[in-house]
Amino acid sequence: MSIILKKNKNLVYPGLTWFFIFFMLPLTIILVYSITERSLTNGEPLKLTFENFIQIFQRKHYLVIFLRSLKISFFTTIISIVFSYPAAYFLAKRTRFDKILIVVLMVPFWINYLIRTFAWKLILSENGILNQMLMGLHIIDEPLRIMYTQTSVLLGLVYTYTPMMVLPLYASLLRIDNSLIEASLDLGASRARAFFDITFKLSLTGIFAGTLLVFIPALGSFAIPAILGGTDSVMIGNMIENQFNMVGNWNIGSAFTLSLAVLSIVLVLFYSKIFGLESIYKNRGTV
Amino acid sequence: MKRDRISVLKIYTILFFLYIFIPLILIFIFAWNKGEGYVFPLQGFTWNWFIEFFRDGLAKKSIGNSIIIALSSATVSTILATLLSIGLLKGGFKRPQLFLSFLILPVLMPSLTIGISTLVFFRTVNMPLGIPIVIIAHVSISMSYVFLIIMGRMESLPLSLQEASIDLGASWLSSIKDVVFPILLPAVIAGWLFAFMISWNEFIITYFLIGTNTTLPIYIFSQLRFGISPKVNVISLLVTIFTLAIIFMLVLIRNVYKKIILEQNSV
Repeated sequence: MSIILKKNKNLVYPGLTWFFIFFMLPLTIILVYSITERSLTNGEPLKLTFENFIQIFQRKHYLVIFLRSLKISFFTTIISIVFSYPAAYFLAKRTRFDKILIVVLMVPFWINYLIRTFAWKLILSENGILNQMLMGLHIIDEPLRIMYTQTSVLLGLVYTYTPMMVLPLYASLLRIDNSLIEASLDLGASRARAFFDITFKLSLTGIFAGTLLVFIPALGSFAIPAILGGTDSVMIGNMIENQFNMVGNWNIGSAFTLSLAVLSIVLVLFYSKIFGLESIYKNRGTV
Repeated sequence: MKRDRISVLKIYTILFFLYIFIPLILIFIFAWNKGEGYVFPLQGFTWNWFIEFFRDGLAKKSIGNSIIIALSSATVSTILATLLSIGLLKGGFKRPQLFLSFLILPVLMPSLTIGISTLVFFRTVNMPLGIPIVIIAHVSISMSYVFLIIMGRMESLPLSLQEASIDLGASWLSSIKDVVFPILLPAVIAGWLFAFMISWNEFIITYFLIGTNTTLPIYIFSQLRFGISPKVNVISLLVTIFTLAIIFMLVLIRNVYKKIILEQNSV
């Protein structure tokens, strides 16, 4: 018995070793870079400093981008909740075909998001499909300039990450026992009251799980603002890329990267404290 | 009253599905459209963009690279994750949750942070960027996904099964190979396909680590940034068909797996 366990136990080492060398160690190096000056490799003694983090808050340019990214990701999350809630509700409570519809809904999620972003470029650009349609119907005379603004970035992010919101919402709504709602109605609650006091409250797990799955990738997004955005919609991801590929300031770049990582870990910890870690991946529901 | 509410929801859901699918359908339509621009009305049917795509050497090279990276990273990560899940869940660990909360990190962190930290790591140890490094980084993220998938199925595998086989004279190695592994196999295959898809679609990490080489998502990105041609529509269409084939396989495996479980339970 114990020999089996011991031998089984040894199987963890290849994976764990890989995980520590290629995942944890790089993160540690980022940490070292973010709290030092200059490069690790040129042999000079390391000097501890918090200057890199202080700069994020002191330089107006950095702070603006940081806050803008938070704002855009926040609205992406809110809009995707509002968009997906009714659909998730319908799927969970009002149809027998929910299983197949969920699979259908996941299809675009598996298609490269660059391709999906490309679709929005076709729709939103100045002589794009939306403007052609609106001008053809004489609703507007001049083309709308949506492309290369924060609006187009927001639309692209919402479109890309909304399916991630539907899944956990659907899963949490599905778990709600209908007899609870019936009981509250029998006891005299209005339909609105029954919805807000029971259905909505019990679906909060799903909303929070979905928030993690939408907010974190939106905050770290890089390709979507690069394709759909302009100069007023640069996000943290674009700035980090700029620090590494153009400016070459690894220390500031690392400080930004680490802030992003820590922020997402804090959100996850906060969530797992309230709902338990298991519910994250149980709500994911792969295909 | 009640009927009205339901039908409003139904109409909303139909609109929601249209919202999700119409952009994709638009892309596919323009893959066969004659004109250069993306303008309605359509200007007639053509296969020209397909021909142009198949003549594009860079596109083919990037597809080849993507397939190499996806095949190797899926295989390595599936092997590591399978061993890891057996060891972690059947190895008598008192608090596997502790490891779990670490192992779930690559799933929940923005891929940008993983891409950057891997870049900094390999530049610090002075290894040249390129396909091998991309494969390594892809393994690090997909290992966690595959681990989660296999772990979900691990609950249906009691330790007593392995013990019984050893009591009946099997060696430890054969108990893993002939008893544990066949039971996990459907989840292992599903995990492999999942890992393949993650790597196949992955852009951000690859972007930082590929160096001067290219993969399909990198190729699409560069096309999107500097002027777009309906060739991109053709790529999108082909990639989508390929993706649907994989999803179909995933669903198929899942159904076969369910049947196996049902048969086992009825025995």
